Amino acid sequence: MALSKSGFERKSGVSDEIPSSSLADIAFLLLIFFMVTTVFRTTRDRPIVWPQAEATERIDEKRQNIMHVWLERNGDVWINDMRTPIQDVRSIVRPAYLESERRLVISLRADTEVPYRFTNQLMEEFKAAGAVRLVFATELERRMARERR
Amino acid sequence: MAILNKKSKVSDEVPTSSMADIAFLLLIFFLVTTVFPKDSGLQIVLPEEAEQIEVSQRNILHINIQESGLVVVRRGESTQEQTLQAREIQQLWRTEVDANPNLIASVRTHPEAAHRHMIAVLDQLQLANAERVSLQIMEN
Repeated sequence: MALSKSGFERKSGVSDEIPSSSLADIAFLLLIFFMVTTVFRTTRDRPIVWPQAEATERIDEKRQNIMHVWLERNGDVWINDMRTPIQDVRSIVRPAYLESERRLVISLRADTEVPYRFTNQLMEEFKAAGAVRLVFATELERRMARERR
Repeated sequence: MAILNKKSKVSDEVPTSSMADIAFLLLIFFLVTTVFPKDSGLQIVLPEEAEQIEVSQRNILHINIQESGLVVVRRGESTQEQTLQAREIQQLWRTEVDANPNLIASVRTHPEAAHRHMIAVLDQLQLANAERVSLQIMEN
């Protein structure tokens, strides 16, 4: 107290406010940092030829409740970037089905030329796992393309 | 000359204070307009395990898909068969279901038939708004 009376009250020339002009820069920096470090859960696409269908509809379900099952021309099954023996499919689908609170939709991405016996075998596996909502992944066929054929 | 030399009071610099606003505007615009590709396809619901429903033969339309992709259609009880192209199914289903609204499509596919043949038939059935479709494999 005694000190302040004896001339220490001189005003400092430095502003005591936080500079706000660089706030936007900081925001951008954070934004770009999180954009760069975010990794979406994706699976690598398998080389298949998509079948075409005119009645193709969008799946009305959250992305996290959709499971992609790839079926290649030679009958190989791929789930989550892993080759899966067909009889092991139910043991992978079942936990995912329970975790999704029975809302799981399976998107079966089968090659146009794969023999039906593989598709049938897979459907039996899905049934055994309880996952009954199935989508045969197709590309939308335009009517124009159909008429040209 | 004296008049021309007079310095203009207007700054010749591009104002930079609103740059951040413009950047945010662009950012929000692209955030809003971006759409992620959604999965699409033909949706069906498989029957539950061990779920079996007895159906009268009268209400069944047998659709057998051959290995070649040709479709053999047989009405429930009759033994008369009809060979069709897949794309004729839609019309057929519409006329059949008009005659019998309780009709069920029983699609049997040959084990070696290509996936696209089954998809073609399913596509036609869905285009014709067929709701009761059963997918099976043809037993030899």
